[in-house]
Amino acid sequence: MKKTQLLYCIWGLICLQSCQQTANDSVSPFGNGTGGSMARFTLGDGYLYTVGNSNMSIFDIKNTSPQKIKTINLGFGLETIYPYKDMLFIGSNTGMKIFNSQDPANPVLLSTYTHILSCDPVVVQDNYAYVTLRSGTGCQRGVNSLDIVNISNPSSPILVKSIPMKNPHGLAVDGKNLFICEGSFGLKSFDLSDPVNPVEKEFLTDVVSYDVILNQQKLIVTGQNGIYQYDYSDPKTLKLLSKIPIE
Amino acid sequence: MTKLLSYLSLVLLLSSCFHLDSPPEFPKTSEGYRPIYANADEIEKVLITTPQPLKSPGKIYIKDQFLFVNELGKGVHIFDNKDPKSPKKIAFLQIPSNVDIAIRGDILYADNLKDLISINISKPSEAKLVHRLKDVFESQNYPPTTNVRFECVDSNKGVVIGWEKVLQVDYTLNCYR
Repeated sequence: MKKTQLLYCIWGLICLQSCQQTANDSVSPFGNGTGGSMARFTLGDGYLYTVGNSNMSIFDIKNTSPQKIKTINLGFGLETIYPYKDMLFIGSNTGMKIFNSQDPANPVLLSTYTHILSCDPVVVQDNYAYVTLRSGTGCQRGVNSLDIVNISNPSSPILVKSIPMKNPHGLAVDGKNLFICEGSFGLKSFDLSDPVNPVEKEFLTDVVSYDVILNQQKLIVTGQNGIYQYDYSDPKTLKLLSKIPIE
Repeated sequence: MTKLLSYLSLVLLLSSCFHLDSPPEFPKTSEGYRPIYANADEIEKVLITTPQPLKSPGKIYIKDQFLFVNELGKGVHIFDNKDPKSPKKIAFLQIPSNVDIAIRGDILYADNLKDLISINISKPSEAKLVHRLKDVFESQNYPPTTNVRFECVDSNKGVVIGWEKVLQVDYTLNCYR
């Protein structure tokens, strides 16, 4: 009797193990993935939002055959889209547009925060939007800065502060951590204990960086030289975990 | 009446001089754009292949323990990133002209030039195209920016899948927008 029980037990364990393995090899049918601040695609509840050069398109993806339900023209120079709570933030080379997406099929434009012609992704945490402005070919008159915009009233965003940067691209925020990709200049980390006073902690000048994603105290950064991953659980220093080099 | 007509024609003449679309004079070395062409039937070739070398990484995306890295204009590298200390390349998803992706559940959505495609990635190494929504994105017939010179698009050469920056001195950049 005992022997049979033991055998069942072992058999059960083997089953569990194999289940575990299949689960580890496959992508879960639930939940949404996470993109970076430079993304032109983002997800809402059953909807996919995409931004082209001059418009935002909304796709219903609840069924296996997606349908385009709407295209909203927003003028030339759109660059990025970022979701936060029930809002969508669109970065364009003339400013940032804020949409209310409570009704995910019908986002409503709340406001446009205009700045000097520049390129700009945006991320948001609590009452503040962090917008990087960079100069480049598509934005000849651009400046290089980090703009902190108070969006506690999303219908009327107010610039709080503009901090000079070198050539900022993507960025990411998580609690007291703010990371900014400075293009070929490197990757910067900031202490954001005070949401309007980021204090620079580290500047990794050898990490060419274009965009960054944060996930469970780990940072993934992409750039011309490859993909770097860091652990940022230690508030003082980024710990390199791995680098996927260019081949 | 004839007076009025002559005034009008004068106004017309003058306004033609100040046509807004006339390109400003650029120095010979200023930057411009040249279209990158592909055969129309090559563009729809979406398939999963063995891992490919990482050459021009674009945007990144994560879902569960998987890391997706865009290879600019070519597709998506899929990594198993369960251990961020040693990400493992699993496969390459070939999607010509791809730039962006988003993943809901086990379906990956991607731009494939003007189409939105859906790919089932429940088993990433056996990813399968499950749907194609045609002609939903803007065409690439103009460079990604305005106020620039570019080589005019010639549809006999194929479909434009992207633009590369060039020095004006190297090419005949005879279009402007």
